[in-house]
Amino acid sequence: MLKVNKLSAVFLILVAGTTPALAQSETQINGVVQSRCIIQTDSSGTFGNPNAYTLTTSPQDGGEGAVIRVDVSLADAYYVNITAPSSFSSSPSLPDTVTWVGDTTVKTVSDATGMGTYESTKVELGMADRYDLTATGSTWFETVSTAVMGGSKAFPGGNYTALVIAECIAQ
Amino acid sequence: MLRKLLHLLVLVFLPSYSYSESIVPYYGYTGNAITDQSLMWSMPSVIPGVGGLDIQNVIYSYRIQKETGDFTTVYVQNEFASGTGYIFRERDDWLPGSLSGTQINKAVPVGNLPSELWGNGSIVVEGPGSVYDANVVYTYKVTPCYNPQFDPNCPGYVVPVPDIYEIDLDSLYNVMNDENVELDRNTILDENEEVLDENEKKKVVEEEEAKRKYRLEKAMSVSDTTALFVEGMRIQNMNEMMNIAVMSQGYYTAQLAGGSYNETVVLADSKLPDGKSGLRNGFAQQLLHQQMVDSQYNLNEGE
Repeated sequence: MLKVNKLSAVFLILVAGTTPALAQSETQINGVVQSRCIIQTDSSGTFGNPNAYTLTTSPQDGGEGAVIRVDVSLADAYYVNITAPSSFSSSPSLPDTVTWVGDTTVKTVSDATGMGTYESTKVELGMADRYDLTATGSTWFETVSTAVMGGSKAFPGGNYTALVIAECIAQ
Repeated sequence: MLRKLLHLLVLVFLPSYSYSESIVPYYGYTGNAITDQSLMWSMPSVIPGVGGLDIQNVIYSYRIQKETGDFTTVYVQNEFASGTGYIFRERDDWLPGSLSGTQINKAVPVGNLPSELWGNGSIVVEGPGSVYDANVVYTYKVTPCYNPQFDPNCPGYVVPVPDIYEIDLDSLYNVMNDENVELDRNTILDENEEVLDENEKKKVVEEEEAKRKYRLEKAMSVSDTTALFVEGMRIQNMNEMMNIAVMSQGYYTAQLAGGSYNETVVLADSKLPDGKSGLRNGFAQQLLHQQMVDSQYNLNEGE
């Protein structure tokens, strides 16, 4: 459900000899960068089905939003992009197009001073919300989603799965 | 010396000294310290009342209630029980732009601070706004051997030796050295001698009396036997005489003289007249009866 961006780098240095062609070699220098941003699923969401043509995570309709926890141990080094779903990753064959609505909000912070303004300073780009992680600590984000079948047609019976994508992006 | 050994033996066999319990440190956490809207709590009612308890972390959460443009500061704190100030104070500045309803969830390590140092706790809000859904939990570590005397297996355990007071035996009251008691004892002995003599005499007299009664009873029992024997003989003789008389004078042996026995009474008058006195008496009875019968009719007429 989550896609974690793993950063790795391999540096290859080519050493060119001062003497042409006769003496030349290649030596590797390997390194692994451990991300200072960790994304975990705190709780998976659930779609409620208030009517035949709607699936929603709204608690009033029997749903539950997905909660993602982001731990950062280095301030001002990462953004986190959280994208609400715009399609089902698995579902029965659908009779029509589905209209999606989604949003992400800050649910809980571990540092009021450093993280209290995350919500008011976020940048929204369609279904994606971008937060600037300016403080170390943990932040819990909640994503809600609603899917409405076009033409007020009913969702076919079956299992539906949609994915919230969270990415830590180094600044 | 003997008394000391006895004390030690008693201590060794006392249940409390033979009790064995784990001395391994263990960890735990409290329930929510906040039980009402006052946002204040007393530590003794929150943490277990055991020795060697050190608080390691304070974990709290709450939701802020404020206007987006307000600056609100929230303190979660515990007073310093052994002095002034606070042993724990965590400050949360909710800057303008932070939204109402945002929850904070924070775990603050405090090392290992003995529970005795922790005073009353509270959540204080400075500036506009308030908090709700507050939850404060303490995690702790208990080291049973904090007091080495807790268990014989604890490092530094010292076998307790009770303080035994030195007692001057000469200063203690000795009943055998009490003159008054000695006088009383002599008096009692003398009295006892007199009582013993009297008892001996009584015993001799009682034995003589018992013997006399026994002889008398023997003699009386012999005379009674003779009397019974004589009486029995007398009754037997009397019965025999009665039997002889009955046997010798049977009715069937009586003789009646024969012949006729004529009437000896002769009536001189041939007619016996009625008595006049009887006639008068008969009339009188009749008249009286008639009067009695008529009286009931007279009564009816009178009515």
